[in-house]
Amino acid sequence: MFWNYLTMAWKVLQRRKFFTFISLFGISFTLMILLVVYALYDHTVGPHTPEKRVDRLLFTSSLYLWSPQTENGGHPSYSFLEHYIRPLRTPEKVSISTGHGVAVAYVGNTKLELAQKYTDGEFWQVLDFDFLEGRPYNPQEVRAAAHVAVINESTARNYFGAARGVLGRTIVTDEVRYRVVGVVRDVPASRVFTYAEVWMPITTSTQDIHNAEYMGSCMAILLARRAADVPAIQQEFARAVRQVPPPTAVYKWCTEVRLYAGSLLATTVRERLGEDGPDDGVVWFGQAGAGLLLLFMLLPALNLVNVNVSRIRDRSSEIGVRKAFGATSGALVRQFLVENLFLTALGGALGLGLAAAALHFINTSGLVAYTQFELNGRVFLGAVVIILLFGLLSGVYPAYKMSKLQAVQALKGASNPA
Amino acid sequence: MIRHLFTLVWNRRRANFLLITEMFLAFVVLFVVGSLLANYQRNYRTPLGFAYAQVWRVDLDPGTQPPAGRLATVRRVMARLRALPGVVAVGRTSSNTPFSGSFNNTDVGAGKEGKGATRASGFYVEDDLREVLQLPLVAGRWFGRRDDGAALPPAVLTRDLAEQLFPRQSPLGQVVLRSDEQFRVVGVVEQFRSDGDLEALRPALLMRVSPQDTAWGEASALLLRVRPGAGGLLERQMRTETLAIAKGWNVGITTLPKQRAAQLKEALTPLGALVLVCVFLVVNVALGLFGVLWQAINQRRAELGVRRAMGATAGGISGQVVGEVLVLTTFGLLLGLLVAVQFPLLGAFNVPAGVYFTAMAAAAAGLYALAVGCALYPSRLAAGIQPAVALREE
Repeated sequence: MFWNYLTMAWKVLQRRKFFTFISLFGISFTLMILLVVYALYDHTVGPHTPEKRVDRLLFTSSLYLWSPQTENGGHPSYSFLEHYIRPLRTPEKVSISTGHGVAVAYVGNTKLELAQKYTDGEFWQVLDFDFLEGRPYNPQEVRAAAHVAVINESTARNYFGAARGVLGRTIVTDEVRYRVVGVVRDVPASRVFTYAEVWMPITTSTQDIHNAEYMGSCMAILLARRAADVPAIQQEFARAVRQVPPPTAVYKWCTEVRLYAGSLLATTVRERLGEDGPDDGVVWFGQAGAGLLLLFMLLPALNLVNVNVSRIRDRSSEIGVRKAFGATSGALVRQFLVENLFLTALGGALGLGLAAAALHFINTSGLVAYTQFELNGRVFLGAVVIILLFGLLSGVYPAYKMSKLQAVQALKGASNPA
Repeated sequence: MIRHLFTLVWNRRRANFLLITEMFLAFVVLFVVGSLLANYQRNYRTPLGFAYAQVWRVDLDPGTQPPAGRLATVRRVMARLRALPGVVAVGRTSSNTPFSGSFNNTDVGAGKEGKGATRASGFYVEDDLREVLQLPLVAGRWFGRRDDGAALPPAVLTRDLAEQLFPRQSPLGQVVLRSDEQFRVVGVVEQFRSDGDLEALRPALLMRVSPQDTAWGEASALLLRVRPGAGGLLERQMRTETLAIAKGWNVGITTLPKQRAAQLKEALTPLGALVLVCVFLVVNVALGLFGVLWQAINQRRAELGVRRAMGATAGGISGQVVGEVLVLTTFGLLLGLLVAVQFPLLGAFNVPAGVYFTAMAAAAAGLYALAVGCALYPSRLAAGIQPAVALREE
């Protein structure tokens, strides 16, 4: 029976090629756009190198000195995190690093502007980088302020002219000499909390790690022992922040120090929306995203409904015959839904291909440095869900209209149910 | 004739309902994207109020050097930079320099009490900054040595701020209040749009950093005017010379054109994506409309055949088909206008109403063009129906 439906669907598709083209165009391009957006999303907050264990990681980056009248937002200082966050007991490890900086290196007279991050030794234990050669620097080297650096593959190629065999060589950034101890695979710039092209021990930076001011330019990454520990860590984190004494001097107006630890998604959304309260804005983001998604799909879906209704009018005599021979409305609706799902699946397959092509184009255009957007299992699963949703959304109304056709009138060729 | 068309469309309202909804949504999409584009275009065409092509920015991060000695070091660095052959002028300024993405927004009011306070961006600048950014004054004078001993620190306003605070009187010599600090207005510039090309015009207030000021944090960035043709060589020289004086500091050098390009890219990339999506949606609607009309003509062959047999001309028939589509479009358009007009009425997004009206007009024109474009071929098809053939099929 099901096979019959599919063969029918195939024949119908071939009968009116222009209509088939309109339907497939709408479905495949809608899906392409949705898939590209989802791939960007997945690439930014999904489990990818170096945040492979993303379900066990917590990030904290924005510090707010808050009072009912005034507020200052920025990032915590190294000493703040060292004092209040490092001693937490529930996380397995805590890593402190700076946000983004730029280091300048010269190859002859050509300037290389390198994204730079100063980190502690734990940074390499909390995250999973792909080391092409060498090793990360360890906590002892950080304590000793050793001038050692980990660089990415592209920097090795641009600075030394070779991606391999650069261990032990010297890279001069901002007139300071560092010895290369490791080379990692390029990290995409979309991983905002871990991205850099050169990583160096935080003790070798111009940062004053003993400065007791709360505001600075650092962030922390916490690794949980298991994913289930995350809520417990957040509770301990909140307790620790509550016990921070209010700041003094220029910030003496401050009544509350606000700092939150959240998942990669939560922290990214919080930073983007500038949320300064306990609510990280993920719920709002999800609702807004779902609303926009539905709105965006509405127009192509309506279009598909329109085309489908036109198609049904075309087939009214066929429907009349089937009804006259005793087909129930349910059977007709089922048949039409299967036909429509078949069509959307076909469009979906096309859309996947188009999305792959679009992502390839974005990758080669160099819009986001080192980013290799790709379609993976999660994206594919998302596509299947969207196709089903789209197929049902655009198939139900025409199927209902079709089932309401009266056999006699349908045979006479009338297009509107009485 | 038009009333007749409305009746025709109304009689088929169930069948036309979907098409009208589609037209409505298409109009809303065109309107939203049109508003964005019109707003950007309007901002882009407003002059910036300064010159940026030959301007570089130098950031100095003192790192662990104690605060006491910082300003002295910065002054030595500035003297050295000024002496370089490729540099024309150097001045200190607060870190919200043009195209930097950082901004300041503080209430500024008229008189000692700060009456009629309005939000304005504030900039701390040294005297030399006028030469660096080539600021044209429309009234009064720029900061100078004679402000050194003044009772109140001097300030220069943009024209819109001056008109807002001191309507129908000269702002020169007046007092303004900004976060509990009073300033004497000495000059007026046309505008100072440091937020960037695509951002809305905002009132601004320029405040003087005098040579006596000992605080460094308020004006921590340097802006330089360089000679045309200055490039990587000068930048490297500047870096080496600066680091030789400010040992252990961190130096960042960038150019304003580069920052501007980065800012434009950041704003235009999502806009480009949005326009692409909009184009896709519109093409989608066009194809659908075309298909539905074509199908409808095939189904109404009998009706059209009768009209031809009764003596209607080919032009009359195709006019009827196009007219029906236009009436449909008008229904969708009216619904869309109901939604669109809420934006200027509610004053949403702080955008002048003119932008919305431009967008409405453009979206309506676009929608009608789309409808006519899609109806042309089916209408010719309808006009070509031979009455004898159509009626025999019955």
